[in-house]
Amino acid sequence: MSIQDKNTEMNDAGGMLSTTPISSPLHESTVDVDNQQEKPDQQKSLTPSQQSMRRFLQDKRAVISLGMIVFLVLVAIVGPPIYQHIGTPYTNDAGKQVGPEVYHNPYRHDLDFEDLPISARFWLGTDSVGADLLARLMQSLLISLSVAAAVEVVDILFGVTIGVLAGYYGGWIDQVLARITDVMFAFPGLLFAILLTGILGPASDQFLDTLPVIGQYGNARLIIVSIAFALTSWPVMARYVRGQTLQIKANQYIEAARTVGSSDFKIITRHIVPNLISIVIVASTLNIAGTIIGEAGISLLGLGVQDPGSSLGLMIAERADAIDTPHPWEVLLPCIVLAIIVLAFSFLGDGLRDTFDPRSKD
Amino acid sequence: MIQFLLKRLVGLIFVLFCVTFITFIMGYLAPGDPIHFIMGQHFNVKLYLQLRHLYGLDLPWYQQYFNFLVHILHFDFGYSYKQQQLTVISIITTNLPVTLELGVWALLLQFLIGIPLGILCAIKANTWIDTANMGTALLVYSIPGFVLAVFVRFAIAQIDQATGAGWPPTGWGNPWQYTWPDIQAKLAPILVFALGGAAYIARLARTSMLEVLRQDYIRTARAKGLRERIVIYRHALRNALIPLVTTFGYSLGFLVTGAFFIENIFNIPGLGSITVTSVSTRDYPVIQATVILLTIAIVLGNLLSDILYMIIDPRIKAE
Repeated sequence: MSIQDKNTEMNDAGGMLSTTPISSPLHESTVDVDNQQEKPDQQKSLTPSQQSMRRFLQDKRAVISLGMIVFLVLVAIVGPPIYQHIGTPYTNDAGKQVGPEVYHNPYRHDLDFEDLPISARFWLGTDSVGADLLARLMQSLLISLSVAAAVEVVDILFGVTIGVLAGYYGGWIDQVLARITDVMFAFPGLLFAILLTGILGPASDQFLDTLPVIGQYGNARLIIVSIAFALTSWPVMARYVRGQTLQIKANQYIEAARTVGSSDFKIITRHIVPNLISIVIVASTLNIAGTIIGEAGISLLGLGVQDPGSSLGLMIAERADAIDTPHPWEVLLPCIVLAIIVLAFSFLGDGLRDTFDPRSKD
Repeated sequence: MIQFLLKRLVGLIFVLFCVTFITFIMGYLAPGDPIHFIMGQHFNVKLYLQLRHLYGLDLPWYQQYFNFLVHILHFDFGYSYKQQQLTVISIITTNLPVTLELGVWALLLQFLIGIPLGILCAIKANTWIDTANMGTALLVYSIPGFVLAVFVRFAIAQIDQATGAGWPPTGWGNPWQYTWPDIQAKLAPILVFALGGAAYIARLARTSMLEVLRQDYIRTARAKGLRERIVIYRHALRNALIPLVTTFGYSLGFLVTGAFFIENIFNIPGLGSITVTSVSTRDYPVIQATVILLTIAIVLGNLLSDILYMIIDPRIKAE
């Protein structure tokens, strides 16, 4: 947050960008940062990234969304271990001591504690099999975010590589990419994911179940789900990247680089890829929202996470009939969490797009 | 025009070819023997071989694929693995009307709600009407449909308990019949289904209308003293609607995948639930048929919006 230190006149610059001239890369390198702080009156230009940062911080909705996402990520990762150490042990009917590490475990079923409301022992109550709702929600969050992260890694890797190659060289890579995206647009990703998980699901339950951590507790199918979403999302990313690459390629500095004898590899890695970062960040943030919805949807249809695992979609599906009962929160809670996390990523993505490209705002 | 259509048709056939191949090869390579699955406990080798032959599973894959294509062209998807007395076509035709009805109403409603709302917001741009409506539209558009459906079901249940109206929580009446109980059952799913699309269309309509209102010919129309109503409805609206036509095809894709979840939450016996059950019971002929049917719907939707676009805006020529 280096911007905040030296922004006495940043705030009175008023209406965002329009008042500050966009600095050219040449100009920006001549500005001495230390100098700026001493002479606040002097007209100075910000680097493009500083301008973006400033624009981002002025977008309240995006900043709040980012805060929400950070909070949810923290809850998903450090929440469960902390929660499993909070609470007093109690003695059950068999005369055994049961500590919080047991009854705050998301996989624990205890029919003595069905459908309990919010209490000191179960912070958000329990569901119909006596599992702690908060523990399950945190586990579901972790699942959502892990799937999104895994999909995004593949999405960015494939999308950027193939998009850049298609945009830079054109030719057959471009043709193949165009055909693949044609098919993708006609064949919804979700349908593909439903097919793939449905057909390979039972086999993955059998063979991937033994994998440590990711395969246990009915989570094995998530590997298939992630693969399906990764396969369907990279062509879209590649298409964006290709378009952007074509634009960048037309710039004079690329020509200049070629004139001084830079190799294609160097031009791509030094001049094109760094300029793609903004579009990749925006596209992947928006794609994360889609992936989270997709994973929840697949699990909702009973094709993703299996019992006793937790997923927001699975929790909704399991208790969809709790709506007409006296304890509707069992289904409303996962819905609300899902809505919040999806909205946060969508708003963040929108905010980032406006940040990097203010003209895209209608 | 004809050249363009031909080009699109070739592309369309290519897409359909790919989709049939994907669905075929997934069924072909899928682990587990469907005949074993059907026979279950009553396994015997002779019957097994007979059934394999009956379903054409003893042929090499390219021959199976060729047969598969030929059968599709005859609208023959064979027999269901799961319910062996039924043909796939009969299963689909009993469930298709429900989904079709849901989809048609949702498609209609999302344009009927979305366009006027977007136009209103554009005319009242940056007033509280605009901000409130567009804020709601953004929320509705971003939140997944099944979450919205759960919230709506919750609201209905609450109202029902309070008033004792006896509103059915889930299910679907008789297709294409509109007695009071039918309407009660259909109203909520159709509305929820339409809302997501309506929000998207409203946002688009607003942007498009604002763009048109900035044009010179609108200023000219106002300058020559036309009443505001005529300026907006006769001069601006028609031009603002052009970009919305393209969303028609997009909407179809949106509706097809959305149907899975709406049908799931509201327990509607439609094509979506057929697909999901057949996927989880690995009833390959049914899976293949529904997937191909849904894809054809989407592809035709895309083609239709291209054609509409050309008819409405003659400046757009096929490259």
